[in-house]
Amino acid sequence: MSRRISIDPITRLEGHGKIEIFLDDQGAVEDCYFQIPELRGFERFVVGRPIEELPRIVTRICGVCPASHHLAGAKAVDGCFGDEVPPLAHKLREMYYNAHYIHSHIAHFYALAAPDFILGPDADPAVRNILGVVAKVGLEIGGKVIKARAQAQEIQQIIGGRTTHLVWCLPGGVSKGLKPEELEKIKPMVGELYDFTQFSLKLFREAVLGNPGYVELILNGPYTLQVQNMGLVDENDAPNFYHGKVRVVDCEGKEICKYAPREYADHVAEHVEPWTYLKFPYLKKRGWNGFVEGVDSSLYTATPLARLNVADRMATPRAQEAFEEMFKTLGKKPCQALLACHWARLVEMVQNAETLQRYCADPEITGDAYRVVPKQITGEGVGIVEAMRGTLTHHYTCDPKGICTSANLIVGTTNNNAPIHMVTRKAAASLIKPGVEPTQGILNMIEMAFRAFDPCYSCATHSLPGQMPLEVRIHKNGALYREFRRRC
Amino acid sequence: MDRTLIVGMGNPYLRDDAVGVRLAAFLRQELGEAPGLRYVEECSAGGLEVLDLVAGHDRLVLLDSIRAGGPAGSWYRFDGRALRETMNLRNVHDTNLATALELGRRVGLRIPAEREVHVFAVEVEDNLTFDERMTEALEGRFPEYASEICGEVASLLGAKSRREKS
Repeated sequence: MSRRISIDPITRLEGHGKIEIFLDDQGAVEDCYFQIPELRGFERFVVGRPIEELPRIVTRICGVCPASHHLAGAKAVDGCFGDEVPPLAHKLREMYYNAHYIHSHIAHFYALAAPDFILGPDADPAVRNILGVVAKVGLEIGGKVIKARAQAQEIQQIIGGRTTHLVWCLPGGVSKGLKPEELEKIKPMVGELYDFTQFSLKLFREAVLGNPGYVELILNGPYTLQVQNMGLVDENDAPNFYHGKVRVVDCEGKEICKYAPREYADHVAEHVEPWTYLKFPYLKKRGWNGFVEGVDSSLYTATPLARLNVADRMATPRAQEAFEEMFKTLGKKPCQALLACHWARLVEMVQNAETLQRYCADPEITGDAYRVVPKQITGEGVGIVEAMRGTLTHHYTCDPKGICTSANLIVGTTNNNAPIHMVTRKAAASLIKPGVEPTQGILNMIEMAFRAFDPCYSCATHSLPGQMPLEVRIHKNGALYREFRRRC
Repeated sequence: MDRTLIVGMGNPYLRDDAVGVRLAAFLRQELGEAPGLRYVEECSAGGLEVLDLVAGHDRLVLLDSIRAGGPAGSWYRFDGRALRETMNLRNVHDTNLATALELGRRVGLRIPAEREVHVFAVEVEDNLTFDERMTEALEGRFPEYASEICGEVASLLGAKSRREKS
């Protein structure tokens, strides 16, 4: 008779992920399901609203990456109005978005990833958090982290007027430009953010790469997955987070396809399973082949690592150096070692900071041609940006009066749904051994599998007290055999 | 001068989740502006983002929703010490509030002491449905619990409400 282990991390009321692990008679992992037992509905209830409202509504999907939804929505709405957007509006949006990226990546690296590496995966849960990290690396570094985040936040505030739930983008551009005095305020902060990206890379080299055990865990732990890679690239096949074409490269480095946003439905389809509300996107031309790895699999990841895997180069010089160092250390490109996502975030942050520097030096950035009022309603638009958690697609249609008639959203985490499911199963099978009760450390190492993706299942906007209880239930002979809860 | 921050937590489009936002607007109307007093009527953030907001203040008043099993419209008051037991929790994207505030204190930011973090949480009925209106249960009792909470906050601030002034 098999037994079942449930890992049930309830992150927020609105967002909820659960892991079900089934063990066989010998206590080995027989199967594992990563489930999302919640239903959203944004795609349905935006129907009937004026299409220009959608970028403001969709920010409420997520309190963590609202700018990603706002910008993807804005680009889709631009399409519905004939795609007449002045270059300055695109520059300002991209500038804003690069600050948003830095803000998000800092939080993920220092608050979520660093505890596993700086304190160790099996460290006491009571100290395995950002306070523990700061206690170990020093208060000065904690201060730097807070300051850098606050600066990235302030840059967003200055450019877009708000941070969490933007109302800045309008059809045909943005509602405000950047004044020269605002630019002067931003410039020194951008300089400091660049320095912070270099500091973060140095810390990673010392704290993670300096520990052979961690390097072994990254390269040869149960966290590799041979599936394909997806990411947005510019005309030089360098990563771009705001616009470009979506490039898909297989796990051996060969380009499978490169498509413009409007062509997304030709390349991506979504599979449905009865045990979860979240769909499983796959490469449409390959068809759904199930949860399988390999160069012929139709599954792909859309992560920071995937974005660097699909890129031939970075768009800026220092990021290029960091990119080369990363793949040289990893030993191959593409690299499918998912824990390297944490490193990829730091490389991306360098490009984000350098892009901000470039725009700060752009003489046109304080111009006033930041919007054209649309003259036509063409009725359909697709906006794609790289959310921090993966390629984000918004596809809207509207009637001749500009009322939304349909919306389809493929969000970053949805792209990664199948890989998250697979790598969680892989990690569980590798770490849970017959006859050995799972320890807190083992459960945390299973969580590390999906934490690498920084998955986002929630439109949660606040969390008090912000708990993440972990519930483990073991079923044996059809009955509850053991139950314990971790308040991690 | 002591600086106080009053924050309405919640999502105004998530039915009863809006109650914190509604309360913050009510308090601003009732208590008015004063030197050292700052209102953030709508805060849809958590963790480190709240830290950015709170830094530079000596007292924090958080107005929020809660589901603790009581009747809709009843409310609870507790301070930052009650958040301590959850300090080591984290969600998938961020730290929790207590951890974020403690981080700020440790690195030397001006963050309210735990006893100066005052949380007022109203028991809600439905915070999972997207709607701009609160449930009838919560809307109907709003004048009652909003006045009660306003009185408590006024005492904290040593202030008089608009009604008391008149």
